[in-house]
Amino acid sequence: MKVNHREINPDKRIAMIAAMELKGYRSCFVGIGIPSDTACLAKDTIEPNINLIYESGAIGAMPKTKSYSTGSPSIAHRSDMITDSFSVFSDLQAGRIDVGLLSAAQIDIFGNLNSTVIGGYQNPKVRMVGSGGAHDIACLIPNLIILMPHDPRRFVEKVDFITSPGSGAAFDKLRVKYQLGKGPSILITDKAKFVMSPSGWNLDSILDDFTYEEAVEGIPWKLSVSNKRIKIDQDILSKVDSISGL
Amino acid sequence: MIEKLSNLHDAIKKNVSSDDLIFIGGFGHLIPFYLTHELIRQNINNLSICRSGADILFDQLIASGIIKKVIFGYIGNPTVGLSHSFNRAYKFNTIEIEEWTNQSIIMRLHAARMGIDFIPSKILQIGDLPENIQFIKKIISPYTGQEYSAIPSLKPDVALIHAQQADKYGNVQMWGIDGDTVEGALASDRIIVSVERIIDNKEIKESPEKTIIPSHRVTNIVELPWGAYPSYVSGFYSRDDQHYISYDSLSRNESELERYLNEWVINVDNIELYMEKIGKENRLSLEKGLCGTLDES
Repeated sequence: MKVNHREINPDKRIAMIAAMELKGYRSCFVGIGIPSDTACLAKDTIEPNINLIYESGAIGAMPKTKSYSTGSPSIAHRSDMITDSFSVFSDLQAGRIDVGLLSAAQIDIFGNLNSTVIGGYQNPKVRMVGSGGAHDIACLIPNLIILMPHDPRRFVEKVDFITSPGSGAAFDKLRVKYQLGKGPSILITDKAKFVMSPSGWNLDSILDDFTYEEAVEGIPWKLSVSNKRIKIDQDILSKVDSISGL
Repeated sequence: MIEKLSNLHDAIKKNVSSDDLIFIGGFGHLIPFYLTHELIRQNINNLSICRSGADILFDQLIASGIIKKVIFGYIGNPTVGLSHSFNRAYKFNTIEIEEWTNQSIIMRLHAARMGIDFIPSKILQIGDLPENIQFIKKIISPYTGQEYSAIPSLKPDVALIHAQQADKYGNVQMWGIDGDTVEGALASDRIIVSVERIIDNKEIKESPEKTIIPSHRVTNIVELPWGAYPSYVSGFYSRDDQHYISYDSLSRNESELERYLNEWVINVDNIELYMEKIGKENRLSLEKGLCGTLDES
């Protein structure tokens, strides 16, 4: 099957690339939206053993219709277990959940995420929804994958507010000291995959049918060229349209 | 045994006063819309409200001008967008806020439930949130020397929650998504519960594992079928996603929002009117929806 990836919508491209990163994991802390859709896609294809865990306390859900809240009917319906939020957050802090997926309004070169304010905290241009569970996941999860639509406004030198802390010199030592997770290690956009290094994100590979220029367009970080290509798994490609939220 | 059944007016009038701190239950599921709207109808003001993830019920309370302070981990209209009334109040400095994270709010309630004044945690030690929370302190483990944040307890005066059923003595049965609802209720001094239906104590005893709050902790039970609309109640009716979507556009405009609040809160002063307002056809379709009583999927 020859596919032109440019014809696939951006959210689906993110979910497809990110789903391939979930191979081998057994439990995944997810929020509503592309993170949840990505984990569903992985479970339906390359990693049937992954368990989806929502902060509402639902575990093992496979939503068949679009979900608006982590407590939505589609998340509760036919899940394997419904416990309370305290329990799943406790498991998260104890290091019992393998991997987490997060998105945000802004991201910087060290993977710091902002979902609190655009502008100053006291007098913001835009006041957003706040952390929810994002700060908690970013601090505690052993493996963190960030999903971001390729919108240049979202990629900044420095986020206006660090809701969910990233990696790099500012936090690496403190993460060890406070027994936290190692912070974000992979960033997926709708055109490319980036990996974290001590000096920030490096471009790792580019989705087929896109150029280097397109993969880094509008991103203010210094990024070296990569010729590596992302090849989407055929099973993922054939099932992406069946995922409810995408 | 003491009977806890009450009408809505008295349950709120007798148990909630100005300046109280109120926990509001419901995590996507079982949001006590109609019960909480009574605060607006009785114009009880200067209130502080708290929970982890807050949705459009918080927005409505803020828009009504009765809120002094919001304590939250998230405030918005899930997936759909922002809390526009919260944003206006934040911009014009007409409310105080205490901004935490979902996990820390739940730990705060858990500490109060346990009767202790803080819980040590690994979160809230890095990033910009800790320095913007005025009273978070550190604690060193006396066993290992490990440094933790000391998450302070949060003990509400009163909890307002919604559940599937209860008996007249106040044994409350709930199933489906809980989130932090039980945590917040058991952390609170007084607990007011609206339910879809009142059942016999004999039925409670047939499945006591469904009882999540025992009678002696409950202050009042109010029977309010459809009281969680537009959120949902597992086994009764599904979530009206469309209502949440419409709320986003109308709440951007203050006069449209005022009209909405008159229509859905002020003028709907008994639960039959609320059910009528939801509409017979819509109710049937929500009963047939996912998790509804007529759901066959």
